Parts: sequence; C-alpha cells; structure tokens
Amino acid sequence: MPRFSSSLRGMKREFDSLTTTQLIFVLFILIFFLLIPVFSILYKAFIFQGHLSIQQFEQTFSNPDMIKYPPNLQFFKIMHRYRFEVLPNGSRILVPLTTLVIGAEGPDFGYIFNSIFVSTCVMIFASIIGTIAAFIMARYNFPGKNVFRVLLFIPLLATPFVNAYVIGKVLGEGGLLNYVLRHVLHAPFTVVISGLPAVILIQTLSFFPIVYMNVLSSIINIDPSLEEQAENLGAHGFKLFRTITFPLSLPGLAAGATLVFVFSMEDLGAPIGLAGAFGDGLHNKLMSFYVYTQFQQAFSLEQVSPSAYVVALIMLMIAVVAFMIIKKYVSLRQYAMLAKGGRWSPRVRKLGPLGILAVYAFMLPLVVVSCFPQIGVVVLALTNWATSGAVPTSFTLEYMQALVTKPDVVTAIRNSVTYAGLAILITIILGTSAAYIVIRRKIPGRDIIDVMTTIPIVIPGIIVAVGYLIFFGSVFFKTFMDPFINPGALLVFTYTVRRSPFLTRSVVAGLQQTHVSLEEAAMNLGASRVKTFFSIVIPLISANVIGGAILSFVYMMNEVSTSLLLGAHNPAQGPITFLMSQVIYSTGTVGAVSIAAALGVLLMVLQITAISLSNYILKQRVAFLGV
Amino acid sequence: MVTVRLDNVVKTFGKVVAVDHVTLTINHGEFFSFLGPSGCGKTTTLRVIAGLEWCDSGRIFFDDQDVTDLPPYKRNTGMVFQNYALWPHMTVFDNIAYGLKIRKLPKDEIRRRVKEVLELVKLSGMENRYPTQLSGGQQQRVALARALVVEPRVLLLDEPLSNLDAKLRIEMREEIKKIQKKLGITTIYVTHDQEEAMVISDRIAVLNQGKVMQVGTPRELYRRPRNLFVATFLGRYTIFRGKVSEVDPSQVVTVKTGSLVIKGMPPAPDIKVREGDEVVIIIRPHSFKLIPPAKPHNVIEGIIDWVSYIGPYFEIRVKASGVDFLLNVDPETPVRIGERIKAYVSVEETMVFPISATKDMAYMQELK
Repeated sequence: MPRFSSSLRGMKREFDSLTTTQLIFVLFILIFFLLIPVFSILYKAFIFQGHLSIQQFEQTFSNPDMIKYPPNLQFFKIMHRYRFEVLPNGSRILVPLTTLVIGAEGPDFGYIFNSIFVSTCVMIFASIIGTIAAFIMARYNFPGKNVFRVLLFIPLLATPFVNAYVIGKVLGEGGLLNYVLRHVLHAPFTVVISGLPAVILIQTLSFFPIVYMNVLSSIINIDPSLEEQAENLGAHGFKLFRTITFPLSLPGLAAGATLVFVFSMEDLGAPIGLAGAFGDGLHNKLMSFYVYTQFQQAFSLEQVSPSAYVVALIMLMIAVVAFMIIKKYVSLRQYAMLAKGGRWSPRVRKLGPLGILAVYAFMLPLVVVSCFPQIGVVVLALTNWATSGAVPTSFTLEYMQALVTKPDVVTAIRNSVTYAGLAILITIILGTSAAYIVIRRKIPGRDIIDVMTTIPIVIPGIIVAVGYLIFFGSVFFKTFMDPFINPGALLVFTYTVRRSPFLTRSVVAGLQQTHVSLEEAAMNLGASRVKTFFSIVIPLISANVIGGAILSFVYMMNEVSTSLLLGAHNPAQGPITFLMSQVIYSTGTVGAVSIAAALGVLLMVLQITAISLSNYILKQRVAFLGV
Repeated sequence: MVTVRLDNVVKTFGKVVAVDHVTLTINHGEFFSFLGPSGCGKTTTLRVIAGLEWCDSGRIFFDDQDVTDLPPYKRNTGMVFQNYALWPHMTVFDNIAYGLKIRKLPKDEIRRRVKEVLELVKLSGMENRYPTQLSGGQQQRVALARALVVEPRVLLLDEPLSNLDAKLRIEMREEIKKIQKKLGITTIYVTHDQEEAMVISDRIAVLNQGKVMQVGTPRELYRRPRNLFVATFLGRYTIFRGKVSEVDPSQVVTVKTGSLVIKGMPPAPDIKVREGDEVVIIIRPHSFKLIPPAKPHNVIEGIIDWVSYIGPYFEIRVKASGVDFLLNVDPETPVRIGERIKAYVSVEETMVFPISATKDMAYMQELK
C-alpha cells in the first residue's frame, strides 16, 4: 500500500502543467486524427447490415477479380501485325511487324495477389540492387564515386505519376525504346512492356535507394575492428563479406526491404502514371488502385463496395506486420554497433583497373536507367516531348510559365502551400511534445505514444484517407469537417499525422544527444519545467526541430494518397499532387502532361533545396527514410 | 546556513534499492561527503536532496522546513553536476546569470553579482566566452560559480572533480574547500575517491548498497572503523581470519591463526568480542615498525616476496605463517626479495572484528 501511494504521488509530480498540456495535445491529435479513423476501417469491414459478420470477407475472397484462380500466368505474347511505313518519297506501304508484348495480358492473380506479387518482386529486386550498390559505395574508392553518390540519390526525388508516365512513354508502342530498336538498331521487332512487369520495373527503380541508404548506414556503422579481427583470423574477400559484413548489415537490409514492400504496396504513382501512358490495364489492377477508384468516385460512403473496406483492412494488416519487423530489426541494429572503441577508420579500398571496370559495369547502367524518369520529367516540362512522339523536337518555357499563370495550377500550388504550412505548425508542436514526453518523462504508456508517432511511416496513405472518409464523413456529416464537402481542412491533419514522424524522429535524436543534466541544472537554479523547456530545451534542439520541419514540409508538399482520395471530393481544394494525377489520368487537354511535369520539376527543386538545407542545419547526412 | 536532515529516506529503481532507510543530519556550514563505491547510492541520495529524484518514503528537512514534496526549482540548492551541465548556447555570463534572471533581480544587481562570483572562482574577464572555449578546469569553475551565485541554502557537488586530470584535481579540491570555508555554506559532496573525501571533508558518510555504513570525521573513519566495510574501503590493509583464545578485562584480544598468535583490540569500545569467536584482523601497512615500539606489540617474521618502490616508502609483501602481510617500510631501509624480515605492530593498531553476522561472512567471501 505505501508503495502504491508513493507511486501515485510520483505520478502527480510527473504531471506538471507542461507535461499535462503536451500529453493532452499529443493524445488528442493521435487519437482523433489517427487511431479512430484507422480503426473505423475495422468497424466497416466487420459490420454488415448492422451486425458482426465476415460475410464481406467471404464475398471479397470469392470474387475472381480479387483472387483469380487459376491465375493467368502468361507473362508475354508475340504479336504479328502490319503497320504503315512512310517512305522518303512520301508513299506509304504496309510492313509486317513483330511485337513482343510483355505484361499486357498477364500475369494476373487478381487485385489482392497482384499487389503482393508486385511488392514481393520489387522488394527482392530492390534489395539485391540496393545491397550491391551499398557495399560498393561503402567499401571501395573509384574515380567518380562522388558523382555516383549524388546520382544514387536522385531516384528518391518524388515526381508522382510523371515518372511513371515517362517510363510508359519510353516502353510504349511508339516510345523511345522502340524508336531505338527500329531506327537505330534496325531490329525486326518491337517490344511493349506494360501491366505488372512495368509497375515492378518503375517501383524497383524508384525504391532501391531506400535499401541502398539503409544498408549503407548499417555497413558504415559496423565497428571496423570486427572485420579486422576476422581478417586477423584469416577471412578475406567474399568469405569475409558473407560471414561478417553481410550478417552485420542485415538489420539495415531488413528495415529497408520492409519499407520498400510497404511503399510499393501503397504506391498510386505507378498505376496512375502507367494508365496515363497506356490507358487502363493490368498495371492498375492493384489493391491501392482499387481502393482509390472506389472512394474517389463515391459521393457518399453508401456508394462504396464493401470489398473496398476489406481490401483496405488487408493493406493495414500488412503495414502493421511490417512495422513490427522494422522495430525488431532497428533494435538489432544497435546491437551491431555496440562494440565501440579503438580506431574508427573507414575500411575503404582502392580498386585496380579490373575492379573499376566491374564497378562501372554495374553502376553506370543502374544510375542511367534509374535517373531516367527524373531526367525525363525535366525534358517533358521543357520541350514538346508530350506530343512530338518518340523524341522531343523543340524547347519551350510555356509549361513552366503555366505554374504562375494558369489559374487551376496556381490554385493547386496555393492549396498545397496552405495545407502544408498549417500542418507543419501543428507538426512542430506535436513532434516536439511527443519526443519530449517519450524521451524525458516517466509516464506509463509513453511507449504507446512512441509507437503511434512512428507507425504512420508504414501506414498506407490510402488507409488514412479511407479512415477519414468513414469517420469524418459519417460523424461530421455535412459540417466543416465533412471530407465530402471540405477535404482541405482534413488534408491539413492527414499531412500532419503522416509526415510528423520525420520531425519527431529528428527531435528524439536531438534530445538523446542532449544530456538531461542541462535541464536539471536549470531546475536546480529555480526554473520551472515550463521555463526550462523554453529557455534550455528548445534552444538546444532547435536545429533538430528546424531540420525535421523542413523535411516534413517537403514530404507534405508531395504527399500523394490522401491528397488524391480526399482532394477528389472538392477539386477546387485539391493540392498539387491531385492536379497532377488528374491531368495525367485524363490527358484530355493538349499539353496537360507537360504541365504536370512542370509541377514535378517544381517538387524536385523544392526537395533538393530542402534536403540540402536540412543537412546543412543538422550537420549530418539525415537517414532519409530510417525509422 | 542550513541544517539538512534526512529521515528514513528510501528510493528504489524497480527492484534495486538505491537508498535504503538513510537517516542523517548535516550541520550548519559543514563540508559533508558521501563516499562509497559506484552504485552505492551516493549520487541518488544527493539527487533526492536536490529534488531531482523523488524518494519513495522518508522525509527531508532543510532546518525545520519539510522539503520532501517541493519540486527542485523551489528548494534553492546549488548543484554542480559531474559533467558540469553548462549550457552550450549561452556565454559564461549568461550561464551564471541564469538563476539570477529567474529570480527577477535587477540588471545592475545581476551584473555586480556575476562579477563578484567570477572573482571568487578566479575567472574574471571570461564573461563572453562560450563553454566550449574553456578548459576543463575553467568549465568546472563556471559550474561552481553558477551554483554559488544564487546564494543557495545548500551547495551540492556531484563528483565535480572526476573529469579533471590528477594535478588539477588536487588544486581544485583545495580551492573548493577554501571557497566553502569563506562562504560558510553547508556543502554536500559526492565522491568515490577516499583520499579526496578525507582531504576535503569535515565529516564523511560511507555508503554501501544504499545503506549508511558509518558517519564520522576522516580520522574517526580511518582509525576507528565501525565495521569491516569501512575498514577495508578506506586505505590499504592486511586481512586474515582467526579464533579468539583469550579476552582480558582491558579488551585486549588474543587471536590464534595457525602458528601465529596476535594480540589486538576491537576499534570501538562497543564492538564486543568473546572467547571462541571467529574474527578477522585488519592491520594498516604503515602500522608495522622494524624497531620494536615502546607499547606492547606483536611480532611477525617471514620472507619478503614482493617489493615495490612507491616514493615516500617501499611497499613490501611478507609471507609469514601462511598469511600475506602488506608492510610499508622506510625507503632508506635496504629490502630485497627473498630476505628474512622481522616487523612489529602495536596492540592498539591491530583492529579485531567479530564475524558473527552472515552478512559479514558474505563480505569476507568477496574480499578473498
């Protein structure tokens, strides 16, 4: 009993005015704008006609569109056709044409397993490419290494939809690839890649840097003496890599691969971008796209197929499992770094001519292909490529000008800046408060707050958006908070919830590097906790707050899923990414794609500026997507 | 000036009892130290006094005021942290002035007092430096000045010298003591260095596993330890076990161990030893003399098997009757490994402890 009363007294002391205010604010935002909306999906999936039922699951799983059995495994098909060729003298003749069509007819496993198939393939390919690239960059010196360092980073610059459109334009019937095949190589056939293989290709190219960066940071953090000891005992070359280096970098690989799996599953950019280039097809027979179309077209919740809730729930479950895997491996990563001490010199080797050749043979094609979408976006924005066929023929600034002159474009930019601006203000308070509570206060349940502020990194945006549509669409029906009427207000909160982890993690890192005695000294000299927080803590972690805020802001500006799903219900309130998806998907008006590309260029410029700025402020290379 | 009183203070961290029913009184203007091995609870006790940790039970008083439930910022203690905890975003002046600004003193007053305290710690002219531009010793002085400038009721020092090099540590400890005497402020000092504690303190509390083992002046602790822990924690020693064969009325105890017969006394009159008791005998290395002293004495005779030159003396190990004796001898005396040597130790300097309690037995195991 005395123990209990003393712990009760202790609790009373922990809850001073600052902690109480911070805790209430954090809990309010997290519960109201994350937990309840996400959990309402559970409610919708299990409640059928007013009572608990798994009927909706049965319906969904027996639908051949959802799970196709037996699956269609026809990966490619060869088509013989004739097409008109224009001769130099102006006469047109019919020539026979052989086309290798990849992905258009199959594979097809139905929505659910298409997504899982794509995510698994992307995860495997990205892991292989990312690990090899990370090992090369961590362990070898070769001419032009710094150039490669920058180029490997470029695929991470998000240019939603447009990059996929560019790939589609390259791989399509009249695209660059076939132009090269027929007019440069004079090959007797053409190749068209669409469907799931095209999605896998695009996502691998844009997501492998996530594996690369996580594995790289793992390898760099390995205590060199661990490898030196193995060498001392006779291990070298591949043996050393297989027995020491690779196992120790496994946590980074596991975290990176899991993130890639989740990002691939929730991605809307590839299916929508490819649909823009090829029209609808197997490339948008994916869970993310299914949920997106169901909710985007609906004017009220009644019009949504119950299967959409079930699919959303499946995606949520996968995300939660992924989060648990990451949590497990990130704590393992600290284990690998535990042994400290001794000389901390990086183990970098100079390569001989043969080695350099081998490295180039891998790295050059990789960076050329993986940077192509981003380069293509710039070309698309600055030339007439969208309408000129396989290769651009003239330069123009018309589309860049549209950013400041075209009314709907200007509105979209203004919307994005407004939402992200408001969201970043909330995020600063939310992230700083949550980080301070988690690191410094001894409150029961702070672990739960820690999880709730981190988990949004893996929760698909579509899930968040669906949750908002269900919860706010029914509870706040026909009010200011109704997403079917006023999605802009809610976008501020989806941005906050989805992108605050960047700031929270940054502040957590700052607090961990700041000794708690600096705060105790202030309290010892008579400063209350509030006074200490503002005069000591905030100045000490300001760099982390600003650095994290810049990153969060940029990720808010290029946020896709909730922008699309919520924005669709009031296009006047749609942000940049919503407008981009509209113009890519409809491709109705001439030059529309190029305007989307111009917006993509704007986003890229913003990202490059923000990331350099926050790196400069934090004086370190930020673990870009680390959890 | 303030008397600090701890009454049955208990603090646990999970299952670990860091402070175990500590009751202590620290007098007006006293320089008081908590001494003990790492993990003995000395820093926790200090932090409980500062209010940085809340005790589970017990009370803390500053004079007659019960401060147990006061938050740290209402206790008016001045603490110097082990890592100094200087704010890197503030200059020396701002660091020191912080507590005065909190107390909303007028600007002139603040400037005057910061100037005074900087003179006191011999750092005049450093006002506009940042902590990173100072040496370790200077940072230490700033931390001390910052704690002193608010005229705290109690000065709390948490191993303040442990980050300094050996030479600077000796300089600083004398300086801290001088400043403390000048200001007459009640001071509580935490250290694991027994020499430091002996030099600097008026009184010392030796702590082990959260419990107070003994409180006393440095001399009392060294010469009259109340228990085995204090006897073995302070200074070097020879220790061996034996059985009491005789106790005479003046408390002189005769102990037999193997072929060796030693006469000694318990270090305090209230430690009672009876015939037939298992005891341990502790002898300080400098208690041995090579010439027989005037007082009644014991003789040991054996072969030297280790010699090390310390400077002011030789430290030698002598095997005699199966016991390994540690002796200090004059550096002018020629001693060589393998030689026979005869040494004398007076009865009063031979400390006899009964090992009755099982706890002492466990402790003996640890010593071996």
